[in-house]
Amino acid sequence: MRRWAATVAAIVLVAVAVVSAQSGSSPTPRPRQEVLVCAAASLADVMQTVATAYEKRAGVRVVVNTGASNTLARQIAAGAAVDLFVSADEAQMDAVRGEIVAGTRIDLLSNQLAVAVPSDRPRTLRSLRDLTDPAFKRIAIGDPAAVPAGVYAKAYLEKLGIWTVVSAKVVPSASVRLALAAVENGAADAAIVYRTDIAPTRRALLALAIPITDGPRIVYPAAVIRGGHNRDGATRLLTWLRGAEAAKVFEAAGFIRAD
Amino acid sequence: MQTEILEIALFTTAAALAATVIMLPPGIALAWVLARHRFRGKAVVETLASLPLVMPPVATGLLLLWLVGRRGPVGRLLAPFGIEIVFTPVAVVLAMAIMGLPLLVRTARAGFEQVTKRYEQMAETLGARPWRVFTTVTLPLASRNILAGALLGFTRALGEFGATIVVAGSIPGRTRTLAVGIYTYTETGQDARAAALLVVSVTLAFGAALIANRLARVD
Repeated sequence: MRRWAATVAAIVLVAVAVVSAQSGSSPTPRPRQEVLVCAAASLADVMQTVATAYEKRAGVRVVVNTGASNTLARQIAAGAAVDLFVSADEAQMDAVRGEIVAGTRIDLLSNQLAVAVPSDRPRTLRSLRDLTDPAFKRIAIGDPAAVPAGVYAKAYLEKLGIWTVVSAKVVPSASVRLALAAVENGAADAAIVYRTDIAPTRRALLALAIPITDGPRIVYPAAVIRGGHNRDGATRLLTWLRGAEAAKVFEAAGFIRAD
Repeated sequence: MQTEILEIALFTTAAALAATVIMLPPGIALAWVLARHRFRGKAVVETLASLPLVMPPVATGLLLLWLVGRRGPVGRLLAPFGIEIVFTPVAVVLAMAIMGLPLLVRTARAGFEQVTKRYEQMAETLGARPWRVFTTVTLPLASRNILAGALLGFTRALGEFGATIVVAGSIPGRTRTLAVGIYTYTETGQDARAAALLVVSVTLAFGAALIANRLARVD
């Protein structure tokens, strides 16, 4: 029994050591020179790159938390100490209107809708109207009832007047990434996703990028949050995110500056 | 990439271990009370104790977020001391412990129910006080089930996703666990990373479930 207790105690000590090493200083307030950014899941990769670049430049630690924008909005509304919020759509930024530092909300980035096709069946489309072609039997889009990318896709198809024709072939997916996955594994003949989703994958190809002037307005708003610990740091970071250096990284990932 | 994967695996295991340790005292107490006592509202306590098992994990997470968020009833008490839980490793451990607790309670309770009361009564007639009876007779006799329950709770904690992502987020090097990492990497098309985490996750879960099942087997 005693040996057993000693083993358990040792395991606990190691566990506590690892967990507290991870937190730096456990549940105490974060150091002032740190900025906590909450960014939409679709920005996870590019935000991490940008954050690392900024850390080197400004000597400030930038911690990036990623998640679905509606989850992030809920966390902010519950009083999570977030310094900067970058949402994937305007609705979620509107939802935390009361938490924003006045005058800091900007449209940071913009994205385009695009059509992805399986890489073993490459094809180029002239317009989204080509999707009415019987060769496209299944078209994956984000669920138009919940996923922003699906909402945009449906709205644009309606604008073209082909939603009624196309909707019979539509496979709604739980996220835009899953719509792309359907094309990657050949379950769907095409997917309407964001242009930035197609770049990192090899198993799907860009068949059409919908011109930003013609397609729906897709923006990623950003704002400094009142409940954060480092308002100055967040404001400086936001200014830098709008600058030329950050723009290069965003553009390399396929995002477009929104202004 | 390897160090990142290793870090996530280590952190998840450590957090699940910490969660298991935290859930043990209340879990054992609750299991014993439910196994040995009749009281008013027992059905309510019983149901509450199994709620995290049947509720959608995201709902549990939302409830936790509300509780420990700076404006919630618990968060408000901690805020004056500068203690914040949301987005910290503590939130990860908390979510894991709450999700694992019902499995521990159920398994340990069955263990207490199997303990022959006569042994306890014998100890009592020999002059042992209730606490001594509990620690030297009841607990050792139920220890196999408690251990199995703890392992089941640990496996549940290892794979916890829904509550974790809501209350702790997905911060690399701070709160990103195996399950949350797989989700984040899949969502951003980093399939190689997701696959690596998947392998680690399957291996860990397989080992833990194997041992838990072996312990829980009645021979």
